[in-house]
Amino acid sequence: MEVLEENVEEEQREEELMKALEISDELHNIETKPSVDQVCVPSDVSDFDWNSIDISQLPSSYKTNSPREKKLLRIADHYLQQYTHLCPDRKPLFLYPVNECGIKKFVSTTVRPTLLPYTELYHWDGCASFVCDYLTMEPLKSPLIPPSSLYSPTTILKYQRGNCFDFSVLLCSMLVGAGYDAYCVNGYATHDICSLDETLEVCPLLRKPQEVAKEIMKKSNKYRVKSSPDLQSKFELQQEAKKKAETEATHKNKERGEEVMEVEKSTHDPLNGLRVHAWVLVLSGKREVPEPFFINPFTGNSHSTMDEHFLGIESVWNHKNYWVNMQDCRNGCKDLIFDLGDTVRWEIMLSETDKPLQVLLDAEEENELFDRNMDDIVSDQEEEEEDTSFAMPPSWVAPIQISPREFETRCSQGKKVILYKKAKLEKWAPYLNRNGLVKRLTVYADLHFHIYKSMEPETERVMEFYNEARVDGLQKRAENASEIREYFVGRDDFKYFQHTEFGKRGKKISVAGTRTDMNSRPIVQMKECFHRNLEKPADEDVAERVFLIMEEMIHLTYHLKDKYITASKKDFFKPTEKYRKQSEIMTPEMCITYQAGSSVKDKKLLPLYNLLQELTEEEKQLKQQVRQSEAEVLNILKIRENEEADIKLTVSIYNTERNEKTKEQYEATKNAMEDEFTVHEEQDLDYLEPFLIQIGHPEKMTKGQVLRLRDDCLTDFKNRLIAKANIIQARFEKEVEELKKKNQQFQENQNQLSREEEAVFLADYSETMFRIHILALRLNREKQTAPQKYLALEEKLRKDPRLAVHLSYP
Amino acid sequence: MSLSYNSIEPNVIDDEMLQKAIEEQRPEDIVKLAESEGIDFRDVTELQLSFRNILQIDNLWQFESLTKLQLDNNVIEKIEALESLVHLVWLDLSFNNIEVIEGLDTLVKLQDLSLYNNRISKIEHMDTLQELQIFSIGKNNLTALEDVVYLRRFKKLRTLNLTGNPFCEEEQYVLFVVAHIPDLVYLDFKLVSDTTRELAVSKYQYLIDPLELEEAQALAQLEEKLAKQKELEYHKRAFVEYLNGSFLFDSLYAEDTEAAKLAYLPGVDDLLQAYRKDFVSVCENLFNYGLKEYEKREAEVSEFYEGLHEALTANQREGRKIILDFENKIKERLDEIHHATSYNIAESKRVEYNEDILQLSETLMTLEMQTVDQLEELIKDFEKNIAAIASTFMENVKGMMAQCRDLENRHHEKLLEISINTLEKSIKNELDEDLPDDIRGLLGDKTTLVNTVNTSHNVHLLKIDMRECDILSNTYRWQASVTGKAFQNEIDRNRSRVKEIFQYIDNLQEQLDNNLQEQLENIELLEPPE
Repeated sequence: MEVLEENVEEEQREEELMKALEISDELHNIETKPSVDQVCVPSDVSDFDWNSIDISQLPSSYKTNSPREKKLLRIADHYLQQYTHLCPDRKPLFLYPVNECGIKKFVSTTVRPTLLPYTELYHWDGCASFVCDYLTMEPLKSPLIPPSSLYSPTTILKYQRGNCFDFSVLLCSMLVGAGYDAYCVNGYATHDICSLDETLEVCPLLRKPQEVAKEIMKKSNKYRVKSSPDLQSKFELQQEAKKKAETEATHKNKERGEEVMEVEKSTHDPLNGLRVHAWVLVLSGKREVPEPFFINPFTGNSHSTMDEHFLGIESVWNHKNYWVNMQDCRNGCKDLIFDLGDTVRWEIMLSETDKPLQVLLDAEEENELFDRNMDDIVSDQEEEEEDTSFAMPPSWVAPIQISPREFETRCSQGKKVILYKKAKLEKWAPYLNRNGLVKRLTVYADLHFHIYKSMEPETERVMEFYNEARVDGLQKRAENASEIREYFVGRDDFKYFQHTEFGKRGKKISVAGTRTDMNSRPIVQMKECFHRNLEKPADEDVAERVFLIMEEMIHLTYHLKDKYITASKKDFFKPTEKYRKQSEIMTPEMCITYQAGSSVKDKKLLPLYNLLQELTEEEKQLKQQVRQSEAEVLNILKIRENEEADIKLTVSIYNTERNEKTKEQYEATKNAMEDEFTVHEEQDLDYLEPFLIQIGHPEKMTKGQVLRLRDDCLTDFKNRLIAKANIIQARFEKEVEELKKKNQQFQENQNQLSREEEAVFLADYSETMFRIHILALRLNREKQTAPQKYLALEEKLRKDPRLAVHLSYP
Repeated sequence: MSLSYNSIEPNVIDDEMLQKAIEEQRPEDIVKLAESEGIDFRDVTELQLSFRNILQIDNLWQFESLTKLQLDNNVIEKIEALESLVHLVWLDLSFNNIEVIEGLDTLVKLQDLSLYNNRISKIEHMDTLQELQIFSIGKNNLTALEDVVYLRRFKKLRTLNLTGNPFCEEEQYVLFVVAHIPDLVYLDFKLVSDTTRELAVSKYQYLIDPLELEEAQALAQLEEKLAKQKELEYHKRAFVEYLNGSFLFDSLYAEDTEAAKLAYLPGVDDLLQAYRKDFVSVCENLFNYGLKEYEKREAEVSEFYEGLHEALTANQREGRKIILDFENKIKERLDEIHHATSYNIAESKRVEYNEDILQLSETLMTLEMQTVDQLEELIKDFEKNIAAIASTFMENVKGMMAQCRDLENRHHEKLLEISINTLEKSIKNELDEDLPDDIRGLLGDKTTLVNTVNTSHNVHLLKIDMRECDILSNTYRWQASVTGKAFQNEIDRNRSRVKEIFQYIDNLQEQLDNNLQEQLENIELLEPPE
């Protein structure tokens, strides 16, 4: 039964394939026309022509095949034949595509394990992010079949562009070089993965850290009130909900248009499961990798092998071998087992090569298994034997090299733009931008609207402060055109929020005397909110204070008393002219009081009057404070503007290339040293002085005098040289003599010496040997340089101005 | 000058004087306001009664919230009638004729006390004024420098004025004072310099050290006592005080004179030891069980209050939401009324508004009724659980007490046996030991002996019964009070909530009427009625 089912399945797959191929043909047709559906080809791919690349400079291994490589190709060919015989339904294997020089090369030999000298590249994530940053992605020519060519990683690095196979081979080379058990994978993935479409992903920088679910095991209290019976008609509710949903749906339909479309794009991909992709598989075992995982080379992200974006695997390879997946991929890669030693699940090509780490134990058994498998198919016994004993030839690719500058610059032209869901991430190489910008994340509020935040005052912006460092405890200040919201933390007066509303700036409204600054916006309303101050009783502790400037009113709302549901309130109306004239400073009408839970109305006016006075004073202060914060905002904006206009980058003192100062310093010291050296030379001793003294410094010397002088000088120099050599010689001999003596002594007493004494002797011995060696060297050098020195002095004497007259040769 | 002073008659503080004094202190702008309202002595926080020739302090008991009182420059002879001014922080009694410090015990918040220029000869009666920071007792009649040591107990005292006292003449006055009050900052209007302090310490080290030692010991003792007290409190709350040990057993024999006599009988001593051991172990069991049960009871109560609090918070939140919704809504309504242009519109709005208010009242009351039902159920549960816990506890206590009684009975039987044996021996003159005369007297007659033993036994049983009764009645009382409190709280809560709702509704109504009135006046002004 099972077999039957599988057959049916196969047929279905075939049908799908046929359909898909048709569609792909259609797509091809469409693609040739300009500006049509660009699902497969992102618009920013420039038409780089790989045919135009220069191959003349490439080494000969790129252009020819060595005998071993040829043999390998033969084996591969054979293997392919067997494979197509065994699995006629499956797609042809990706075994030996042509390289940039048009030569067929086996894929494993294209992997060139390299460890690059950058610490970042020692870990897989560093490698992956380098590869995805450094290379520009090109889509496959056909999304349904593997490419016909596979270029060397060096070429890919040189031109900084490539398809998923190029990415994978480069990344795999680096990972294997770094010691990972990494493999290139040829398989199938979703459209988003294949086309590097991350617009449905949330930007990793914006991803919120997963909140650790607080496991406060709230033990269920047995004293729990039963909820009141719900007496509302369920039917009515349903109807209501239905209605609401309908209206909402119609309302939102337009808004969500784009989003819906995007979602649909990913769900209704006609080619789902057929899109060819290449990525990297890292197996556990080496470098403390706990379990196998995938790396998508386009994004540099790691994925679990259960990830539903990866839909199937045809084959995997590394620099040593090639495996074909024999497992069913109907459920994607979820159920695959990555035990490459298992010959039932993975068909190996070169069986005798180094086994993957985990198979070493049962290698024998497996060989037999494999052999038996092959026996059934292969008639030629000899060739089979040859097969098994063949080792993978070394890679034909030249060593991968990346210069520090290239490494630092990263992206092609030093810039990379990634589009995420509602966000755009731009990366630049360090020092590329004058202002030092290396990363910019633009977050869009939704798919349509962008809020442009400018440096203009009185526009929308949020400023956050370090409230610990501020006297007023300000933590955040949010503004827009007509209001300021300020949030405070940890104030002594328990204020945590202040909201100021401004009116329109108008010349007519401004009554003289109400405002000090004619330029500022009139304040309409100020509201303050306070936390509960536990030292005061709740109905004396103000929770909210609203100053209505225009209405000349003050509203006070107090905190709730324990178990009360109404808050005490006081509304003050400021005395108007009418009252003032009556010289009554306070009347009962000026204050409306509601005292929660007490029927005794506070009829006393005196405390109210005092309170009003106090509030009036505070209102004044608050106004001033608002003006101050406006001024502060202006000031901050100004400072920011200045900062932005004049950015100075600090360069590490170890970065000699960019740090001008250190460079100058370095050069200065270098020059200084050179200068010193020359000065030193100039101050050479006057070698004639002693001889001139002997003859009493005559003004003019005769030729005889001069010659004698010269000879004297030279002989003296010669004697000195000889004396020097002799001294060295004497010392040398003395050391040798001493050594001999000591050695003799040692030989005689060897048996009686303790181990320590012996050690002392040996140390002494080696030291003496060292001295002798040095002396020998010096003597030797002296002997060699003496004649040169002599000649040099002679030459110098000849050129000496005092002797030159007589010594210059005709 | 002095003549004119003498000519004025000495006064007693009376209402009239107080009224006048208060009025004088008010700023002018609010005098008028205050006049119309009258003065409530309870609201006054500061009072100045200087230069009024007062002889006797009186009539101040109404000033409950007074924090500052100035009675300087009078002829007061005795500090009195200040007991009710418990909030007093500042008291000035300078320039009077006071001879003894007294009557200040209740003024525990006092920080600043001035007794300058009086006739005091001893510093005393101030132990409760632990908050005292500034103390002025200059120009008095203090003669003994040792009096200053009394001031050591004021840990917050920083400023002290002693000038003009006889002992200031003494040579070592300053150093003595500084040495004894180490935290003093100002003495006699002068800053105490570090050098002075060092000098004082080095000079009077020999006096200070034993003082400090003594104080430390006293403190330690006090702490120990407090800790013991606290533990005892804890045990008492668990109803098992004095059960961890032989207290109960000892108490059995404390008033039992017969038993003391019987103890001389041969073999009784061993019996008593064994009995004691068993009895104490039962007591300990009971004690540990009691503590455990106490924790359990506390947990139950706290769980109940937690649940109650949760329910109440939810209820408060709900009510708050209803009211906030309403308040947002009525703002519009009030605006509408405010903008009504004719009487009819205003009237119709008023009706609408009234309806809203009624509806709110209804909603709130419904919510309250619902809450009452819920809480009643909750409290009933609680009552049930508490009753269960209490009865289990009482049963177990009874069981353990029965063990005690059994022990006593057994002991009694054995004792009786020994007694009778001894009696028989005694009759046969087989006793070897010398026994005290009392016992010999007892051994003379069997009835007397048995009666003695029985009396002893009865005394013991009575004690045990009393202890048991104690525990049981305490438990019962606890049960009743805990449940009663829960019910009472709920009743109070319900009443205050209903009151609150009514008040709020009244308030709204009033507000509406006011607004309407105002608007109607406006309308009338705009278009006078035809």
